[in-house]
Amino acid sequence: MNLIGPRRLIFFSVLVFLLLSVTWEVSAIFASPKVGTVQKVIGTATVVRQGKTIPAIMGLEIWENDTLRTDPNGYMGVVFSDDTLLSLGPESVLVIDKFMFVPKQGKFSIVLRMIKGTAAYLSGLISKLAPESAYFETPTASIGIRGTKFVVKVEEEKN
Amino acid sequence: MRLPKILFIAWILWFALTGCSAKRDVIVPSQASRDLILLLPDPDGKVGTVHVATKGGSQILDKPGYAVEVEDISKPPSVPRPVEEKEMGDLFGHLLSAQPDPASRFILFLFYFEHDTAKLTHESKALMAEVLRTIKSRKSGEVFVVGHTDLVGTEGYNTALSSRRANHVRGLLVSNGIKPNALLVSFYGKARPLVPTKDEVPEPRNRRVEVIVR
Repeated sequence: MNLIGPRRLIFFSVLVFLLLSVTWEVSAIFASPKVGTVQKVIGTATVVRQGKTIPAIMGLEIWENDTLRTDPNGYMGVVFSDDTLLSLGPESVLVIDKFMFVPKQGKFSIVLRMIKGTAAYLSGLISKLAPESAYFETPTASIGIRGTKFVVKVEEEKN
Repeated sequence: MRLPKILFIAWILWFALTGCSAKRDVIVPSQASRDLILLLPDPDGKVGTVHVATKGGSQILDKPGYAVEVEDISKPPSVPRPVEEKEMGDLFGHLLSAQPDPASRFILFLFYFEHDTAKLTHESKALMAEVLRTIKSRKSGEVFVVGHTDLVGTEGYNTALSSRRANHVRGLLVSNGIKPNALLVSFYGKARPLVPTKDEVPEPRNRRVEVIVR
């Protein structure tokens, strides 16, 4: 009468979950996490990745979800894989919320979130090829970018 | 009957006045704005646009050296204003000198077309040699070919026309020895004019194919 009993249901959902998590991990391993490279450092700057703090040096890979930080005397310049250039002034914090540049699949997206400090942005191919998918967020505003250069100053949010 | 009415008016006046002064007290100290966004020209001299949006409204920046300020997420951004060079230096200091070298970036070429055709203009034909030289000298494995039209005609027609234009340029590149798998063709019809115009306005600078060489 009861072909799919509650136990079977649980068993199957666990199975499906395991399969999904395996394929998810596999795809995560095969996709290169690199989205850019540190190309300039003055003073002290760091990259926070999955809770670990890495000193920023020339040539360091930048990944999606990294947080870039500079000290009171620090500057950092990053080149993204779509040729977007980003530089941070002293005492700045910026999170790479999203970065996707896969032209052959038509996948383009860049979302940078500035927590505080100053930044200069020179847009690359993403805002050229897919202008609606390039965003720069600040605590108060969302900046849509259509192929251009700008600088931004963000004051830290006070709680 | 009159007294309550006068009292009522007095009450409104009192409320309005104190309300006003209270508001003024908040505004007068003029809290410095939190965020400032300043538009600059690209290294090639062109200027793009940025669209600044908060929950309270939005502004478009399209003049170089102009900035908008945002005080609060619930308030609209300020009207764009010009920023003096000194102020720029005070705000951003050596930031711009910390930018990575733009010389290694992509190069953009623009091919223009005769009205309503996939025929290159005379000047644009001469550009092909330089494009080929650049692709070969950079040993570029990624060349984007992007077709566009001006705003005359329907969307469907222009999408097809921009596709013909892009594929014409692609054909020229391939027949000049560029490997087809290095070429990434896309087309947008009238959706992305270089020079914004009203609908149905003929504009030669929008009848173009962009070739971007990395």
